[in-house]
Amino acid sequence: MKVNAAPMNQNLWTKGFTTGVTIIALGILVVIYRFIFGLGAVTNLSDGVPWGLWIAFDVVTGIALAAGGFTTAALVYVFNKGEYSPLVRPALLTALLGYGIAGFSIILDVGRWWQIYNPIWSWQGSSPLFEVSICVMSYLTVLFLEFVPIMAEKFDQNPDSLLAKIIVKIAPVVNRFLIALIILGIVISTLHQSSLGSVMMIAVARIHPLWHSAWMPLLFLISAIAIGFPVLVIESYYSAKAFGRKFEQGILSQLLKLTPWILGLYVVVRFADIIVTGELNLLVADIWGIVFVVEMCLIAIIPTVLLLNKKYRESDSGILTISWMMILGLVMNRFNTYLITYQPRPGWDYFPSLGEIIVSAMLVSLLFVGYKLLANYFPVLSKE
Amino acid sequence: MAVDRRSFLKFGAATVGVSLLGFNETNAEANDEFADNYAMLNDSTLCIGCRGCQSACKEAHELPHTGHDKRYEMPTDLNAQNLTLIQLQRKSEDEYTFIRRSCLHCNVPSCVSVCPVAAFTKRADGVVAYDKDKCIGCRYCQVACPFDAPTFEYNSATPVVVKCDFCKDLRLKNNETPVCASICPRKAIKFGTRKELLREAHKRIKDNPGRYNTHVYGETEIGGTSVMFLAPAGFTFEELGYRKWGETPPGQMQEEIQHGIFKYWIPPVALYGALGLAAYTLGKKNSNKSDDSGEVKNES
Ligand code: SF4
Ligand code: SF4
Ligand code: SF4
Repeated sequence: MKVNAAPMNQNLWTKGFTTGVTIIALGILVVIYRFIFGLGAVTNLSDGVPWGLWIAFDVVTGIALAAGGFTTAALVYVFNKGEYSPLVRPALLTALLGYGIAGFSIILDVGRWWQIYNPIWSWQGSSPLFEVSICVMSYLTVLFLEFVPIMAEKFDQNPDSLLAKIIVKIAPVVNRFLIALIILGIVISTLHQSSLGSVMMIAVARIHPLWHSAWMPLLFLISAIAIGFPVLVIESYYSAKAFGRKFEQGILSQLLKLTPWILGLYVVVRFADIIVTGELNLLVADIWGIVFVVEMCLIAIIPTVLLLNKKYRESDSGILTISWMMILGLVMNRFNTYLITYQPRPGWDYFPSLGEIIVSAMLVSLLFVGYKLLANYFPVLSKE
Repeated sequence: MAVDRRSFLKFGAATVGVSLLGFNETNAEANDEFADNYAMLNDSTLCIGCRGCQSACKEAHELPHTGHDKRYEMPTDLNAQNLTLIQLQRKSEDEYTFIRRSCLHCNVPSCVSVCPVAAFTKRADGVVAYDKDKCIGCRYCQVACPFDAPTFEYNSATPVVVKCDFCKDLRLKNNETPVCASICPRKAIKFGTRKELLREAHKRIKDNPGRYNTHVYGETEIGGTSVMFLAPAGFTFEELGYRKWGETPPGQMQEEIQHGIFKYWIPPVALYGALGLAAYTLGKKNSNKSDDSGEVKNES
């Protein structure tokens, strides 16, 4: 598994980067306001709808979209597909940033954030959210450790700061256990990706039956695994654009050959579920049936059909369109499960406030700005 | 949507376990670990909607008045300043009744099941208690509660979850009756043990034919609750704002999955082993035909 990566060392301040930084600055103001005056001052959350945009998008969707890190790692290190190794580092960086941002949004969203570490000592094993919080904390640690050798490559030449010295010092230790660490990351990922599906299982009276299911953990896991590669496509495309590099479509098309299998499984499980529970008639009952079908078409059915066709699978625009379609479908699925079909307490309503939208935009910007910053400084992207 | 039917289908297998715990009618009392729990029986046919309980509870817990002039307040739902509430439920011009809302102190509470830091506990005496020093403010309890009970201080920088505490510190500690039950001029809220009050409820239904809806809400719902309700004949509990629930606690399925995963940690450890084995064997197979220097140069 040869990795031949290098820092980009380019001028950062392009138009996109500046816009990102501006949005982040705006977001920070909202965040400060939130910490001083409470959640109600910034969000439209209420006793009627306790979880809003931040949970549905920043946390739940964000963690699903960051799944590319563990699927790529599994492919390269467990199934030993060395040809994909140039994708490992970009996927790792995306996951590291994605989870870091999700962790940050959890701190923003929980009311008593200064006690956020409580799950470490006060356990409630029956709570999926307990599992999610422990997993997110430990996975972030694992991702950071996986990133240590990459940082060490950079610092090796000239370890001037204390941090650099520490990184260079621990890198050999990390390297020795790298495979063990990577597998640990994969296990933790399967655990919490599925637990994010368990979270809403108890809300049986709140979620629309087409989305509520005893198989949610499995469905959440499969869809997270499926979305990993499309996210990688998008990430490769935009990072190629940002750094003025060639978009390596070939290797990605190769990768996407696997996706129809995963998506096929998803479709089978999802329909089997609504058939078993006798909910098939809900597909034609009202608007939610249509929403369900549209979601399924976007996340799985159309992408499968298109990906099986070489013409679409092996063109730039083809894989870009398919990837965006799947991401849109996944976003719909997570939003429908956590927010849109959620029945508020009687008499309550919710639509995200401007503050919530600005903060979410800030977090997306953080991802792009952070990616550019780190890929520019550390050897993440492979040499052309 | 019929929650009970769906829960039955989805949690079908689990129901067997619950009936073994003794929620079936025949030997309910003998096997019922909740029989001696503190409980309350709310009788809507007696309540005249004076809201004495509502304001007495508020006063006893020193919660602020937020209404006009700080004198007059008519909240429409539970909130962080009102642990209990009387709601008028009207079906037609002259068909109406009053119903009380608060935490029902469930036998198998969803809030306890979901709280990631065990800030909620079900005490041996039946009270479901909250500990703000553990709570991280994630509001999962609000999402999960089947009776929309917990509220949250959204407008505070240091918020807490707020719900009826059964007057555990104000009254129960000294073997006294909770404020709302003791203040009610019509004795529409009766305090006692769960066993006594269930008997009482069924006696009232039997002795007054035609007066009551014959179901005691909270007797079996999601495994039973400590706070229970009698409704006037002609009203369903759904019309009074209490959802239809099956007997299985809605958190049961999810709990079984969580415990299944972490019982002796078998699935995660097995997965780890399998992946490790795969990495080892597949890596070996390929190492012959590849001349790669390994991913990281310091690796030996
Ligand atoms: S009513 Fe809600 S808050 Fe009260 S014990 Fe039951 S689940 Fe918990
Ligand atoms: S808000 Fe507090 S009490 Fe409620 S589930 Fe979260 S940590 Fe537990
Ligand atoms: S038991 Fe106490 S806290 Fe609960 S509603 Fe009655 S007065 Fe309020």
